Formats: sequence, C-alpha cells, structure tokens
Amino acid sequence: MELMKLEIVTPNGVIFDAEVKQVNLPGSEGEFGVLPRHATLVSLLETGVIVITKQDGSEVAVAINSGYVKVDEEKTTCIVDGAVALSGEGSDLAKALEDAKTLLKSAESSNVAIASAVAKVEQIGKSL
Amino acid sequence: MANLKEIKRKIGSVKNTQKTTNAMKLVSSAKLKRTEELAKRSRVYAAKLTELLNEIAQKMQQSSADGIDNVYFKDVPNPKTVDIVFITADKGLCGGFNSQTIKRAKQLIEEYKAKGVKVRLRAVGRKGIDFFKFNNVELNDEIIGLSAAPDFAQAAEFITEVSDAYVNGETDKIILVHNGYVNMITQEIRQDQVLPVDSSTLELNVASTSELEVEPDDDDTLLDALVKRYVEYSMYYALIDSLAAEHSARMQAMDAATTNAKEMVKELNVKYNKARQESITTELIEIISGMESMK
Repeated sequence: MELMKLEIVTPNGVIFDAEVKQVNLPGSEGEFGVLPRHATLVSLLETGVIVITKQDGSEVAVAINSGYVKVDEEKTTCIVDGAVALSGEGSDLAKALEDAKTLLKSAESSNVAIASAVAKVEQIGKSL
Repeated sequence: MANLKEIKRKIGSVKNTQKTTNAMKLVSSAKLKRTEELAKRSRVYAAKLTELLNEIAQKMQQSSADGIDNVYFKDVPNPKTVDIVFITADKGLCGGFNSQTIKRAKQLIEEYKAKGVKVRLRAVGRKGIDFFKFNNVELNDEIIGLSAAPDFAQAAEFITEVSDAYVNGETDKIILVHNGYVNMITQEIRQDQVLPVDSSTLELNVASTSELEVEPDDDDTLLDALVKRYVEYSMYYALIDSLAAEHSARMQAMDAATTNAKEMVKELNVKYNKARQESITTELIEIISGMESMK
C-alpha cells in the first residue's frame, strides 16, 4: 500500500511527522478521509478528531480545536491550534505534546526569583 | 577601628550581591536556551501558516482583476486611528530592555500625533503599563502576566479584541512593537504592522503549480479565518520573541552586574588593606613614642 507524509503542527511545535496510510479529518464541510495521491486541497478544520492510520495499520486519534489542512499529492499538512492525544497513552504523539507543554512552562519568566533578587539587592543597597 | 569594620561589612554585602546576580544570570541563561527552542518550534508553525496564506492570497489575486478585496487587506492611505500594541517585561533587572521598547512606542505616538492621527495604546507587561500610567498616558488595554508566560489562547483572545476593533472600523491600523531576540548579546526593536496585512510582505508572485481546491468554497471564509489565525500567531510569536530577548537582556545585565561587583570587592579589599596598615602604623608609632618618653 502506498504511503503519504503527514505533518501536524501546533503553535508549540511539530507533534506528528511520519509516513501514514490514511488520515481522517474533521473538515468544516464534513469529515473526510485522505489517502495518498489525493488532489490538492485546502480546507478549514473544525473541532473534532483526526484519526491517523499508521504504516503498521494501527490507529492514532488526536482531538483538535480548529485549524487548516493542506493536502497535496504526497504530503498532508495540518496546522492546528490545540491538540490532545486521545488514544495510545505513552505514544510518541502524547509525548511530543507533553514535551511541548513542559517546554513552554519551563521558559516562563521566573517572577518570584526576580522579585526576591530585587528585594535582596535593594536591601544590600540600603546597608551600603 | 570603626572604619575597618565598616569596610569589612561592605565587602560582605557586595559579595552577597554578586552571588545573587550570578545566580540570576545562570537562571536566565538556562531559561534562554529553552525559550530559544520554543521560538524555533514556533517558527515551523509560522512558516506553514504564512505559506498557506500566501497560496490562498495568490489564488484570490489571480481570480479577481483588482487585487484582493478583503477587509483585512484594505490599506488605508490616511489612517485616522492607529492602535499600538507593545510588549514589555513584567519585571526589571534586564538592562535597557524595557526602556528601549517604551522609547520606540513613545516615538511612534509622537510621529502619529504630529500627523494628526489618533493613537490608542494597548500595553502588555507591567513595566510598560507602569511607565505610561506614571506619565498620565491613557492606555486602552493593560495585560499583566502574559509577557512572562506566553499562552497561545490568552494571546489570541487579546489580539482578537484588537482586530475586532479593526474590522468594526474603530481603528485603521494595528502596529505591534516589541523587543526581539537576535542572539545571546543582541536585542532588536521590532515594529510590525499586524493589520491590514501588508500584501507586499507576502510572496504573491510565485507561480502556483497546481490547481487548488478550497473548502469551504467561499474564498473569503477561508481567508478570513486564515488571517485571523495569522494575526493571533503574530501576537503569540512576538510574545515568545520578546521573552527570549528579555532572558538574554537579563543574562547580560546580570553578567555585567556580577563583573561590577567583583571589581568593587577588589577595590574594597585594597581599601581594607590600606586601612589595616594604617592602623598598624598608628599603633606602632604610639608604642614607640610611649617607649621613647619613658627613657
């Protein structure tokens, strides 16, 4: 069976990038399936579930908030703004999502640390 | 000697400061690495989104004779009202990071005011808000916490409010000002026009290779949604870029502070030694003169 490239991109990074057999997408005009060599298409996606049939025949489901899909003959790109892995706990996809979340959290400006540093410096400044 | 004790205390506290600034520097450099990674990932999304927007816009331009007829692309030659969104950090201790952004925002305001354009300010980040409040400048929007912890949903909510004002005709132009990250030691003020979408920034002249089928059939629905997302994402990306710049600016400032503290400890040490020698000399003179007088 033929394969096509599927990429799912969220604002926090790429969460899926692999060769797949088929993907079902929640289009704004109704759900539709994409197989390799599909005609070029751009569609809005609505809140729903993307079901990916992987190379080995197993299925992965990802819930999305909304987004777009661009399909051409050999590549399908989904641009979504929120994603939650539904099936396959501990799968690569769930891990990628988790990674993206932790990264965002860890990059936050540590207000508490800065505040305490400011307080400390000020206190020292007074004693000088 | 009172003087000796005093100097010793000073040395102690400067050393303390040095420890704090050094720790802050380490924290910032670790955070910077993560933010850089975050920015790298976000860029993938941005690239894909822009690519798609390009294609759609291109298709629309080809199908109609007089360019893209969409509210988001309408360029007003003489805007009456301009919204300026600017991003600063919530906290200080990062050198000129915040003041640079504020300076540029002020400059923009003056430029537009000189042209007789009404300017509305929307501030993200405590430092910028504090500054304009102190100077009695009216702010249309104040958001605290978003610049320290960028969140896509929150950023989208904020900018949607602004772009709604644009669609309703309340404002003719939206400009986003933030201090962006260039590399570890350089930050650069970035000023982007969010709306109307500047069609010159889109690569509209690339020949499309294949027929593009669009769902829903109505081009405008798709383009509207895409532009909306594009705007939301510009805001989110600006926040991340600004955060990276904040971390790098803070790292630099803390590095400088640590070096300064080191320098100061050195100077104080010299002073301390001098004072110590002086006191010894004085004591010796006292003893010797005492002995002399007993002879």
